[in-house]
Amino acid sequence: MTESRNDEESTAKKHHNYGIQTPGTKGIAGTKRYAMAIDLRKCIGCMSCVVACKSEFGTPLGVWRTWVKVADKGHYPNTQRVFMPRLCNHCDYPICVRNCPTQATFKHKDGFVLQRYNRCIGCRTCVVACPYNARHLVPAKRTDKNLPHSVVDKCTFCIHRVKRGMLPACVQACVGGARIFGDLNDPDSEVAKLVSKEPVTVLKPELGTSPSVFYIGGDWEIMDEPHSYENRTSQLKEEFNDFKRNHEGDAFGDIVEGESTMYHVSKNMKDFIASIPHKASDVIDAFKRLLFK
Amino acid sequence: MNESVITYNVFHHVAWGTPISIYFWLVGASAGSFVISSFGWVFGIKRYKPLALTASLQAIILLMIVPVLLIWDLGKPVRFIYLMLPGYWHSTGPMAWGSLLIFSYPVSMIVYTYFVLKNNLFWAKAFGIVAIVLALSTHWYTGVVMELNPGRYMNHTALAPILFLTGAFISGIGLLILILWVQNMIVDVKKRIEWPLIEEMAQYMMYGIVFDCFLLFLEFMQTLYGNRSEMISHELLLGVFRFPYLWLEIILGLLIPLFILVSPLKKQKYGVILASFLVAIGVYGMRVWWVMGGQYMQTFY
Repeated sequence: MTESRNDEESTAKKHHNYGIQTPGTKGIAGTKRYAMAIDLRKCIGCMSCVVACKSEFGTPLGVWRTWVKVADKGHYPNTQRVFMPRLCNHCDYPICVRNCPTQATFKHKDGFVLQRYNRCIGCRTCVVACPYNARHLVPAKRTDKNLPHSVVDKCTFCIHRVKRGMLPACVQACVGGARIFGDLNDPDSEVAKLVSKEPVTVLKPELGTSPSVFYIGGDWEIMDEPHSYENRTSQLKEEFNDFKRNHEGDAFGDIVEGESTMYHVSKNMKDFIASIPHKASDVIDAFKRLLFK
Repeated sequence: MNESVITYNVFHHVAWGTPISIYFWLVGASAGSFVISSFGWVFGIKRYKPLALTASLQAIILLMIVPVLLIWDLGKPVRFIYLMLPGYWHSTGPMAWGSLLIFSYPVSMIVYTYFVLKNNLFWAKAFGIVAIVLALSTHWYTGVVMELNPGRYMNHTALAPILFLTGAFISGIGLLILILWVQNMIVDVKKRIEWPLIEEMAQYMMYGIVFDCFLLFLEFMQTLYGNRSEMISHELLLGVFRFPYLWLEIILGLLIPLFILVSPLKKQKYGVILASFLVAIGVYGMRVWWVMGGQYMQTFY
């Protein structure tokens, strides 16, 4: 008995270290492991979580920390609308943390995967590495100049609120009570009870990232990755094009469905030239931004 | 059976775009031409000595563009220095290793070229060995950067670095042949590179193309095996990336040059030049779809 307790203590101590690659803490006694369960049977697609997140962090237009995917199923009169809230999965074994060249991304001992803006160089390696598309580059132009720009950002599980004993903004705002947040290692917490009793799924389990966002009652068609790009509609494409036109400095980084990159760049050469500094005053402004901001 | 249509979703950027593809192509062509440059001074094949200077200068110039492209592409360009500071450097990030390679490779190459100019065999060979290891590593790492993204099915293959190195070899030779052709038109008759030597290089390029085709075949075997990667590779090959992938890489960049280089056309000057040009641009097509394809497929996920 004493021996096993000692073992537990030593394991707990080992896992308590801060560090950019803190080992996974799921199920380790004496550690905290914050997780979220999303009960899709209760989700009504009101998007209040998306709005709450946007207003909590002032997330710019065109990028999201959390979003809700919507799909319509079936034929009239047997139709159904299904929802799929998405956010950073705060993996136990995050690929983004391994990939970051400047240690800007790290894993907190309590399970949060966080971003240090002062270290981020905006190389976007983590954006490419994330299998869940949970990361984004913050645009250069922001209304509040004091907020970080041109660095990679992501969902933080609202660590600033959680550490003050509050719930994340999206959980607080959820009208149906579909989002449940808590410590997975505490067997009395609601999230631990739900995850142990209900049949849950995670996204891309085959990658071995051990996500901390669990879905209850998920619809396979909306969760299935190939399905989501099989059914792209022209409306979505149009929205994407609008977004591109309104987004500064993206002449290179994006491509539009149905067009190859080179064709796209040559077709939009006018936009492209307009987006690069080609007047003397623009060049001076660009240098000023580069050096003094 | 139910059908479902995604009626609302958000869009994710393709985070790495054209600058990164150009950068991969430049590094590859630089490494490939440097391999040819080292034939004479490092591996002791004397007939390659006359073109060593042109080849290494080409490698240096191509690599000079790389930091400009990469630093410009960063969200915070001034912070590129973090990639080399001990407190920031992250050993598990392939890009952290890559940044060291990108800065050390040109230095060793410049020193090597200096000793080639001074006709100092010993030091040219010593620095040539260092530079060739760095040249291969610099390009090898670009493959590793793409490979270590388990969520991007098309990129997540151990073949990536070998594919990238083979592409580097053939595109480097292709570009070098074009430059030597132009150089021969400009310089004195005595200083011209003999055409049989260029034909021999074209022969090496042909071996590289055959190996690249074999690698591509292996890749197709894996990706077209009936899971979700089959669907992705179908969409990439015949969909958005049809031009860079099918036309530029496979048809224009591999099959047509291979046909030229195994047919009597290889004895004709313009046949070799056309094949070199096609290989050089074909490898760019490969870089484009490798960088953007894997991300593109998941922009709607």
